[in-house]
Amino acid sequence: MVLLAFFISAPLLSLFFASNLLGRQFTQAQAVTLSFWNNPYLQRVIVFSLLQAGLSTLLSVSLGLIVARAFARFGKFPLRHIILSLFGLPLVVPAIVAVLGIISVYGSHGWLPLGSKLYGLTGILLAHLFFNLPLAIRLLLPVWQSIPQQHWRISSQLSMTTRQQWKHLEWPALREALPGVVLLIFMLCLTSFAVVLSLGGGPKSTTLEVAIYQSLRFDFDPSLAVVLSLLQLGISLLLALLATKLTYKPDVEATLNTFNTQIPHSSSKLFLGLLIAVASVFVLSPLLAMIIEAFQGPINEVLTDSKLWQAAAFSLMIGLCAGLISVSLAWSLLSASTQHAYWGNKKLASLFELSGSIIYVVPPLVIGTGLFILLSQTINVFEWAIPLVIIINGLMGLPFVIRTLGPAIRQHTMRYQRLCAGLDLHGWQRFKQIDFPLLRKPIGLSMALVTSMAMGDLGVIALFGTPETATLPLLLYQRLSAYQIPQATITAVFLLMSCLVTFWLLEHFIGKQQKAQYA
Amino acid sequence: MLKIEQLKFSYPVTTSKAKKNTSNTHPMCFDLTVNAGEILSIVGPSGSGKSTLLNLIAGFDKAKSGEILLHGQDINHYDISKRPVTTVFQEHNLFPHLDVFTNIAIGIQPSLKLSYDEKLEINLALEQVGLFEYSSRKPAELSGGQRQRVAIARALVRKHEVLLLDEPLAALGPAMREEIIELLKQIVINENIMALLVSHQPSDAILASERCAFINEGKVLIIDETKQLLQHPQQAEIKAYLGLS
Repeated sequence: MVLLAFFISAPLLSLFFASNLLGRQFTQAQAVTLSFWNNPYLQRVIVFSLLQAGLSTLLSVSLGLIVARAFARFGKFPLRHIILSLFGLPLVVPAIVAVLGIISVYGSHGWLPLGSKLYGLTGILLAHLFFNLPLAIRLLLPVWQSIPQQHWRISSQLSMTTRQQWKHLEWPALREALPGVVLLIFMLCLTSFAVVLSLGGGPKSTTLEVAIYQSLRFDFDPSLAVVLSLLQLGISLLLALLATKLTYKPDVEATLNTFNTQIPHSSSKLFLGLLIAVASVFVLSPLLAMIIEAFQGPINEVLTDSKLWQAAAFSLMIGLCAGLISVSLAWSLLSASTQHAYWGNKKLASLFELSGSIIYVVPPLVIGTGLFILLSQTINVFEWAIPLVIIINGLMGLPFVIRTLGPAIRQHTMRYQRLCAGLDLHGWQRFKQIDFPLLRKPIGLSMALVTSMAMGDLGVIALFGTPETATLPLLLYQRLSAYQIPQATITAVFLLMSCLVTFWLLEHFIGKQQKAQYA
Repeated sequence: MLKIEQLKFSYPVTTSKAKKNTSNTHPMCFDLTVNAGEILSIVGPSGSGKSTLLNLIAGFDKAKSGEILLHGQDINHYDISKRPVTTVFQEHNLFPHLDVFTNIAIGIQPSLKLSYDEKLEINLALEQVGLFEYSSRKPAELSGGQRQRVAIARALVRKHEVLLLDEPLAALGPAMREEIIELLKQIVINENIMALLVSHQPSDAILASERCAFINEGKVLIIDETKQLLQHPQQAEIKAYLGLS
C-alpha cells in the first residue's frame, strides 16, 4: 500500500508544487487561476470534454438499453450466445485499433463514407459508441436476468401489457443499475485519449486529456499541462464522489452469464431481431472492414519491417510486466484486505481494497504528466519511457484486477481460512499448494486483461515514447499521422491479433480450468 | 483431560440507531471438562455459542480471559498452529484440487515431501476410515459421508489430542450419520482423544456420547448424561429447545 501511495501521490504532489499554488500567496494563486478561467481555449476544452462525454454516454446508454431489452425479450435469437461473447471484444480491442476500424467503415474510402465529417465530434461519438454500446448491453442485460421468473409469470397471469411490464418490473430494476452504468461510461468517455487524439481533428475538438498531451509534446508548456491535469483530476474526483453515493456498482468483467430467463414477449420478433442485427453489424463491421482492408494492403512490406517487430517486443514486454505488477499488487492488497475482513477489521479491510481502486479516479495522463514534470528535472524521461509506461500501466490495471480477483479471493478466504490456519498452512506453501491452484482462473483472466490493455495503450507511451521506443500502438499512430493508411491498417490488425492471442494464451495457460469443483 | 475454566468472550454487536453506530457486547462464559477417550456432545439453540466455544478452543476466536487447560497446561495463549487441536467442519474440509491422499498428507506435511513412514501412516488412516481404494479420487468424486471420512482420516494422522467436530453430520443422511458416529466413537476410544461434537440433532448426541452439555445464551447451562438430559429434560430452556413446552 505504501508503494502504491508513493506512485500515486508523488506525481500528484509534483503537479501541485509545479502549479505554484502551494508555494505562493493566495492572491497570486487566485490571479493565476482567474487568468486561466478567462482563457477561451481552456473554456472550449472543458466544454468540449464534457459535451462529447455527455453525448457519447447518452447515445451508448439509451441505445444499449433498447438493444439489451431486445436481447432479454428475444431469448432464442439465433447466435445469441456468440453475439454476446463478441460484444466482449471491445473490452480488449485497443482504442487506436478501433479508430482504424471506424476509418475503414466511415472514412472517405470506407463502406459508408462520411467524408471530412468523420474527423470531429461525429467520429468521436461513433468510436465511443463502438466501445460503449456493447459495454452498456453487457452491463444492463443482467438486470433483466435478475428479475425473478415468478414476476414474469405473475405479469402474464395479470395480462400486463408490454408498457405495464416495463413500468412495474423492468424500470424498478433498471432504476438502481442505470446511474452506475451512466457514470462509468461517462468517466470512460471523459478520459478517452486515443480516440480523441486520432479523430478529434484539431483545436475545435480537443478534450482535457488530449490538451495535456499537446501542451507537453507540442507546445512545451508544462504550466498549462499542470493546470489541465488538475482540472481533469478535479472533474474525476467529483465524479468519483458522486459514484460513492451510488449503491449499485457495475462489474466490468470479460465474462458474462448469457443465461436467459424465459421472458414472455409481445413485441414482434422481427422488430427485436432487427434491433439486435443492426447493433451487431455496427459493433462488428469496423473490425471486419479493417481486416478485409488489411488483406488488400502491402502485407509483406509491413511484416518484414524490423520496426514492427521491435515495437511488438516492446508492447509485449510492457504488457507482461504491467500485468505482473498489477496482479502482484492486487494480490497483496486483496490478501491483506480479506484477512482483515475475516478477523473482523472491516475498516482496515475496506481501506486496503479502496487503495487499489483509487487509481481509477486519477487518469493515466495525469499521473504521466506528474511523473514527467517530477522526473524531467533529474533524468531524461524519454530514455526511461518503457519503465515509466510499465509502472503507470501496472497501476492503471489495478482496479480491473481487484474487480476480477476480489470476489474469488473473498470466497476462497471464507471457505479455507480456518482450515489453512488449523493445518498450519501459510506463506509460500499455502500459495503453492492451495491459493494458486484454486485461484488460477481469475488470476489468469486478470493477467490476460491487464496485459492486453497495456499492450494496446496509447496514452502514456504517447507522452514518453520516441521513435526508438515506439510500441505497436505508437507505431500505428505514427503511420496514421503520416497518412500511411494501408500500412496503419495492417499494423492495427497485427496489434489486434497480438492482443487477442496474448489474452487467450495467458488466460488458457495460467487460468486453465480446474477439473474438480469446490467440495 | 481438557478443562475449560471461565472462558470469556463477546462479539461486538452493532445496532443502527439513527445514523450513528453504537457498539455493545453479548458476553459468553464457558466452563466444562472433557475426559480422554470421550466424546462430549454440545447442544443448544442456534446462536447460543456452540460453534464459538469450538472456535475459542481452536484459537480461531480469541478469548478475553479464562483458561483452556490440557493436562493442566493452559493452551489459551498458543497460536492456532501450536494448539494440539484438529477441527472437522460441516463442509469445505477438503481442498477440491487435491486428491484424497494429498488432502490427508497436507495435514502433516504442507510441503507434501513425505517420508516413507508418513505415507504408510496415511494409508493406514485411509484403511481405518474405509477409503483406501479412494485415495486417488478428487473430493468432487466422493459422497458427503466419504468426504467427512477423509477429514476424519486427516485428523487421525495429525495425532492431536483434541478433536473438535463442528456439526460434521449436518449435511448427511440418517444412515450416513450413524456410520460416521460409529467411526468417530471407535477412533476416539482407540486413540484416547478428547472430542467435542456440536450437533443440532438430539438423536446424534444420544448416539455419539455418554455425556452432553447444553449451552444457552453463551453459557453451559448443564452437563449431564445425554439420555437423561435430552429424553427426560427438567430445565425449561431444554424443554423449549426440544419443543416439549
